[in-house]
Amino acid sequence: MLSLKGVVAGYGGGSVLQGVDLECAPQTITCIVGPNGAGKSTVLRVISGLLKPSSGEISMNGETIGDRSPDEILRKGITQVPQSHALFPAMSVRENVLMGGYLIRKNRALLRERLDMVLERVPIVATRAGDNAGNLSGGQRRMVEIARCLMLDPKLILLDEPSLGLDPRSLAGVAGLINELNQAGTTVLLVEQNVRLGLGLATHGVVMEGGKVRLTGTASAVKDDPEIASLYLGGASGSAPGGPSSAGPKTEAAGV
Amino acid sequence: MTHLVQAIALGLLIGGVYALMASGLTLIFGVMRIINIAQGAFLILVAMLTWWLWHETGIDPILLSVVTTPLMFGFGWVAYRLLLSRIRGSSASMSVLLTFGFALVIEGVLNITAGNKFKSATPSYFEESFRVGAISLPKAQVFGFLAAMAVLAALYFVLTRTWTGRAIRAATQNPSGAALVGVGATGTAALAFAIGSATTGVGGSILSVLYPFFPASHYDWISRLLGIVVLGGMGSLPGALVGAGILGLAETLTATYGSLNWSTLVFYIVIMVVLLIRPQGLFGAKLREDTV
Ligand SMILES: Nc1ncnc2c1ncn2[C@@H]1O[C@H](COP(=O)(O)OP(=O)(O)O)[C@@H](O)[C@H]1O
Ligand SMILES: [Mg+2]
Repeated sequence: MLSLKGVVAGYGGGSVLQGVDLECAPQTITCIVGPNGAGKSTVLRVISGLLKPSSGEISMNGETIGDRSPDEILRKGITQVPQSHALFPAMSVRENVLMGGYLIRKNRALLRERLDMVLERVPIVATRAGDNAGNLSGGQRRMVEIARCLMLDPKLILLDEPSLGLDPRSLAGVAGLINELNQAGTTVLLVEQNVRLGLGLATHGVVMEGGKVRLTGTASAVKDDPEIASLYLGGASGSAPGGPSSAGPKTEAAGV
Repeated sequence: MTHLVQAIALGLLIGGVYALMASGLTLIFGVMRIINIAQGAFLILVAMLTWWLWHETGIDPILLSVVTTPLMFGFGWVAYRLLLSRIRGSSASMSVLLTFGFALVIEGVLNITAGNKFKSATPSYFEESFRVGAISLPKAQVFGFLAAMAVLAALYFVLTRTWTGRAIRAATQNPSGAALVGVGATGTAALAFAIGSATTGVGGSILSVLYPFFPASHYDWISRLLGIVVLGGMGSLPGALVGAGILGLAETLTATYGSLNWSTLVFYIVIMVVLLIRPQGLFGAKLREDTV
């Protein structure tokens, strides 16, 4: 469905991504893990068109999208929830979600239909409809962000660290929603620092380091890889998954 | 007491007109981080055009904003596409240089075509007043205020009830978030600049009646408008309304109880005091401290 071949990209000074190859099959959940600064968010940004790759090929269902603008890529059915700062803080929750349907704004019936669908799937959009997005808690914000990207009924959802800053209960809610969406047929590509959670949720795993993909495979194969287990899962037991102690040493090794 | 009521009423009427003039400036800054120094020159350009149309046809100057507003909308749109879009992504100081240059060009053109003389449109009601009890309100002032309020209400409607307005607010609050839902940065910026320029259509028409002007008057106006916008908080519309009200009141109250010469100075003292306490202005958000 989605395919990246030898993608190189950066922010002006040097390349952050140094030839990334990645495949997402339809209706899978692929989880990218790796130390801070590995380029995980950057991968999502080149897919959604916020950042232009300097070389390499990105295609969706066989069609090249690497040179398209963000709104053209949205129209291809790819939506993104970034790591942070996605919502419009001074707009109501309802309006934030409605903005997710900006590209279908001319089709009022469809907009209405999608809004009803989102309200049903993500109840918080209804219960906090009138509140400003800036007044929500971290977990509620994540739900609204995901709800917003459903307005275009995407084929592929890109989620950047959905667990970031969430308490266990919100976490379960977000994970449940991701699973539900996937079961409804949506392909998911997510980035997770919380490696246990991410790979637990995913069907496939990708390990990135220093702007390159180091390992790919099914989620369980990646989880059971001895090196990965010791690096990111903090060994057999003890330290927090994806915590600073486990990711720390690798960050320096991966320094871009 | 009558003096006080009179001064306050007049101050609010003037403040309403200032609010309209400052709204465009703050809107443009909010969306694009462009400080449009040419906003004052746009006002004078419209005032000059209004004066000329009034002089030739005798049509009421404030009514002529029906012509000048769409004209300035188009003018703003083209100016953005041809000129301002080229400095996208540069710092705000770059926009000051560019729009200052733009203001100088407009001033030069007006000097050549209209001449370096004071002008003022004087419709029939120019020297008449409405009397409400003991206070009298100049008709021109009242009409100007009403026109300004009508435009501000329309602006509020566009910003809150239309997709264009939603896109503009989204781009103001979170540019990358707006890009993620498909709001094109260039198109939105061009629209915001066009709408911001269109406010000078009505603003300039009112100006032509209420204030004598000549091509270089734009310096005077832009400093007032910048003062209002800085006081209220750069990019905040409610801030512009309150800032404009404070300027209007500061002017009329100082002129009533002190002297006309001091009236502008008092406003700048207010700005300095406010900025010492709240550097981001009355309604301004601290830069990117929101957590969304
Ligand atoms: N907007 C940006 N401008 C410049 N450099 C950036 C920007 N965003 C990320 N980077 C750099 O790109 C590298 C990869 O960042 P990112 O993709 O965010 O990593 P990850 O999500 O894996 O933690 C880092 O070295 C980071 O400093
Ligand atoms: Mg990241």
